[in-house]
Amino acid sequence: MAGRLSSRRNLPYLLVLPSILGLLALIIYPIGFSLVNSFRQWNLQTSPVPLGFVGFLNYQMVFQTTPFLDSLRNTLILSVAGTFIEFWFGMGIALLLATQLKGTNAVRALLIMPTTIAPIVAGFLFRYMYYEKGGLLTWLLTQVGFPVPPQGLLGSSTTALASIALADIWQWTPFFAIVLYAGLLSIPEDIKEAAIVDGATGLRMFAWITLPSISRTAIIVVMIRFMQLFNMFDLVLVLTRGGPGTASRTLSYNLYQEGLVNYNIGVAAAMTWLIVIIVTILINVYARVAFRGWEW
Amino acid sequence: MKEHRKAISRREFLKVAGLGIAAAGVCSVAQPALTQTALAAGVRPRAKAQTKEIRVLVVGDPFQFALEKVLDDFTSQTGIKVNLESLAYDALNARLVTSFVSQTPDADVVTVDAMWTGQYFDNRWIISLNDYIKADSDVNLKDFIPEVLYSLNLWRGNFVSLPIAAYGQGVMYRTDVFEKAGLEPPPTDPDKATGWTWDKYMEIVKQLQGMEMDDTKLYGTVIVGAQPVPIVHMYTQLAASRGVRWFKQFPEAPWDFEPTINSPENVESLKFYKALYDLSPAESINYVWFDAGTRFSQGDIGIFFWWTPYFYLVKNDGYMSGTPSKIIDKFAVALLPKLKDDAPQVISNGGWSLGIPSSSAKQDEGWQFIKWACSAETQKKMGLVKDYNYQFSDFARVSLYQDAELKAIYPYLDTQLKLLQQGNGKIVRPPMPIYSTLEAIYGLQINKVLSGAATAEDSLKETDMLFRNALTGNFMLPYKLESYDDTLENARKLIDSLAA
Repeated sequence: MAGRLSSRRNLPYLLVLPSILGLLALIIYPIGFSLVNSFRQWNLQTSPVPLGFVGFLNYQMVFQTTPFLDSLRNTLILSVAGTFIEFWFGMGIALLLATQLKGTNAVRALLIMPTTIAPIVAGFLFRYMYYEKGGLLTWLLTQVGFPVPPQGLLGSSTTALASIALADIWQWTPFFAIVLYAGLLSIPEDIKEAAIVDGATGLRMFAWITLPSISRTAIIVVMIRFMQLFNMFDLVLVLTRGGPGTASRTLSYNLYQEGLVNYNIGVAAAMTWLIVIIVTILINVYARVAFRGWEW
Repeated sequence: MKEHRKAISRREFLKVAGLGIAAAGVCSVAQPALTQTALAAGVRPRAKAQTKEIRVLVVGDPFQFALEKVLDDFTSQTGIKVNLESLAYDALNARLVTSFVSQTPDADVVTVDAMWTGQYFDNRWIISLNDYIKADSDVNLKDFIPEVLYSLNLWRGNFVSLPIAAYGQGVMYRTDVFEKAGLEPPPTDPDKATGWTWDKYMEIVKQLQGMEMDDTKLYGTVIVGAQPVPIVHMYTQLAASRGVRWFKQFPEAPWDFEPTINSPENVESLKFYKALYDLSPAESINYVWFDAGTRFSQGDIGIFFWWTPYFYLVKNDGYMSGTPSKIIDKFAVALLPKLKDDAPQVISNGGWSLGIPSSSAKQDEGWQFIKWACSAETQKKMGLVKDYNYQFSDFARVSLYQDAELKAIYPYLDTQLKLLQQGNGKIVRPPMPIYSTLEAIYGLQINKVLSGAATAEDSLKETDMLFRNALTGNFMLPYKLESYDDTLENARKLIDSLAA
């Protein structure tokens, strides 16, 4: 009897064991391996194997030998500004789509296209459009009187980061538009009708009915895009390689440079952990504010 | 009826997870230790005889196109088929390092950049070719330009590769523009180069700036400004030629990597480079290697200096486009200027070489391929390939620079040889073990000066500090490992001993 009870008690553990083992192998091990490496001297330029534990030297080197703080500043600007602009542009498009204008179906189909293009391809596309001599965007901006720097949009430290952001906005605004449009469609008609009866129109309707009704969708999609933008790499690689100087260097590009160009595994691992800590803090702050009052 | 389940407490879960993490940690420490043991034991795949196919990984540079055209010759001569794969620079290095670290055999012959030789050989990823060279007298080692072998192929007294494409740096200028401006053509013979200094070069650039030619307003010059690697390739040539050195003592023994990068000579050189940029198209701050060459071929640049492959690449209106450029018969090449008439010249010798990975099971066949590809016969055939308006004159053998047939196609060969013979790649871009890290720092700092984000003084002060941090952090400063007296004289002795 006692044996039967004991085996019944252990059954849940046995059932979750494969998942736990899978988790250990696929997630915990790489994370643990990278954590260990962040404390080891392991530079493939000098040795194919780790040379030993060096304490926090790699963390120190992240700040002393790489433009980590410049990259962090650029990443934060890109993530916050990019998410903000994409959200509101996306919201505008979603509201337009929700009005069921003529041709909405065609627009919906077109909208999805940029998001299906690989970022590296979008990068090449924009590279040509930013070309100093006859690039479409350079030409357009010149026509409307925008002072395009002589070294080109990608070659000037005042416009390089914004040019990367613009390419990302072009590609990912439709993602916001489609997700928010789906949210708008889920708002019950009776709520909207009740609000109209109560005299709500225009901005009031948007601020007090529409936005609160899709707030959960919006909060989640903003968080996802923020994290994606925080990891911005492809467009930086193709468009500016982080330049000029460090004007458009992001954390992910910094990480690529250290790990896959300099092959300093120890420093790259330390940098990874610093980025993980920063993202975790930011997301936790966001979650605490945005998810307040949510029932899970 | 309500079902009751026993919940797993947080404490129990943490216990299990903690054990798992501990186990993972032990594994992560143990795995490299095992790898180290295997390496120490010298576990290497043995060469197999009578293999009929080899894999060759090359970088996507001009020589690759010429090599592909003559590849069938190798198969018909040896019966060995070649599976040739071309990759971009970064991708090739990443692919090779991944293969080497994981000890997964990938290719039997690989392209090795001079900058990778120290890393690859010290890590035992590629093998020494000394024994092969010594056993094969038909390699004709004495025919190679010693300065090229020294710069590209030797590390710690070993041939780790042989050159398939040897580059130097020289000047290209518009003959019609010079004629119109009433300028003397720059010299092509070092013995008749009195007065050919960087100051004179700047004077010419300034004179050509803004000049009208065939309804085109000219820029005096064009530079390469993209960071980190391209700008270092161009800037270090200028700096080395003006006496700048990276370290207190390297490559001569004993190695001392105390940085000497923040020197008055370098501050002046960096200001000079910024001045050249100010006389270049503004967008050249973003230019990579081929952008500068392509810009010259477009016809609005008066004079510039760059890698010798551009002596033929600028004959096309775009990079390897095959369409003749508008300046195809309106340009000539010349020597690189010096700091002063009595100052020694140092040319940046670079290029591509072929080596054999230690993980290859077909090392003998790989050696046959290298010997064939780097032979005078094959190199001449590559030079005679007509595609892209004849695009291969990166010869590493002296005999090919005296070949009448090749000289008729590439009239600048005499000048190119003289440039290569003034070369010392180990001074211009020292191939020491953490070169890539230092190059990334240096390239970024030089670029900052061009963009106006830093002055030459501040940039080099920061470069010096970052160099010190990187060198100290990687245990290179002070250097406690074994040095090698890596001089041209010792290289010549090695060449003599292997060729005997």
